[in-house]
Amino acid sequence: MSTSVAEPETKSEALPERPKELAMHFDSLHQQYHAGKLGVWLFLGQELLFFCGLFTAYAVYRGNHQEMFHYAHYFLDWKLGGLNTVVLLTSSLTAAWSVRAAQLEQRKTLIATLVITLLCAGIFMVVKYFEYTHKIHIGAVWGSNFGVADADLPAALTERYPNITGEDLQRMGMGTFFAIYFCMTGLHGIHVLVGMGLYIWLIIRAVRGDFNRKYYGAVDFVALYWHIVDIIWIFLFPLLYLIG
Amino acid sequence: MTETTAEHGHDDHHEGLPGMIGHVSPWQTLVKVLITLLFLTVITVAAAQVDLGRLNIVGALGIACVKASIVAMWFMHLRYDKRFNFWILIGSIAFVAWMVGYILFDSALYQDGIREYRQANPLPTREVEPSESH
Repeated sequence: MSTSVAEPETKSEALPERPKELAMHFDSLHQQYHAGKLGVWLFLGQELLFFCGLFTAYAVYRGNHQEMFHYAHYFLDWKLGGLNTVVLLTSSLTAAWSVRAAQLEQRKTLIATLVITLLCAGIFMVVKYFEYTHKIHIGAVWGSNFGVADADLPAALTERYPNITGEDLQRMGMGTFFAIYFCMTGLHGIHVLVGMGLYIWLIIRAVRGDFNRKYYGAVDFVALYWHIVDIIWIFLFPLLYLIG
Repeated sequence: MTETTAEHGHDDHHEGLPGMIGHVSPWQTLVKVLITLLFLTVITVAAAQVDLGRLNIVGALGIACVKASIVAMWFMHLRYDKRFNFWILIGSIAFVAWMVGYILFDSALYQDGIREYRQANPLPTREVEPSESH
């Protein structure tokens, strides 16, 4: 008598079989995927609004202090900014490719594209590190901390305006430009770091073989996030580095 | 099960596995998108070397918008996605434009006062030592 208690679960009363990746609150993997995607798009819409605050600060200061932005762009090296643009665009390709590889269950391609995306993000941050340390070294920093000695002014700037001094730039309020610069590129850089963390997570899961043709949402959604990070840089690069 | 099968529908490519969810972008398309983006980057950089006055910022922002749209439509699959996701993005951009526009209008009104104040109260300056590399 007592042995029959354990039996029933497996047979007639059992629920229809569910894929192991399907969360309990969804009917199907299809529904789960599209719900996830909707959530990510809502998040990305919010991200744009989040960055919009800084873009507004940029627009207001640029609109009212054209000359400050003109002198400031000599401090930024468009070659480094351009290199970072190419690196990020390339990583966007590999991110999009990783989604394709996950959909087609090409595990090796998936892992390779994820790793390349991560590496590109790393290169981006290394370049950023060199840019930041140089600026901090010469004193091209935010707010009233700004103070660049005449000897440290960029050569291109002193060539074009031989009489300009570091004190002129202080009086102009150049510290405000660098506050905007560091906030915008810094917030973007934080997003890149978060993206790197997400890609490490994806690589671990891909190696473990978690993804298949019906369950690859994570790869897709992280790629969407990564593309938004790329889009923001697409605007930051010309606004900060190029137009003076 | 109620699960619908792969939704290709309007798309001409049928690359994909049976029962797959979503749309697969052909790798050739992805590579073409990257080449286009790199090409537009080169144009942006080249255009910035010439002084075109106000056109510089209009052109640079215009090209940036085109690049962003290309990324959104192809890399982000919006072209093949549910329309609703597209409208989330458009809605967000509309609010961004609204906010930037209004604040620019508003801030322009106070500039004369700020300029007067700044002339009467110049920003303090201080002596700075050259960095060690010099």
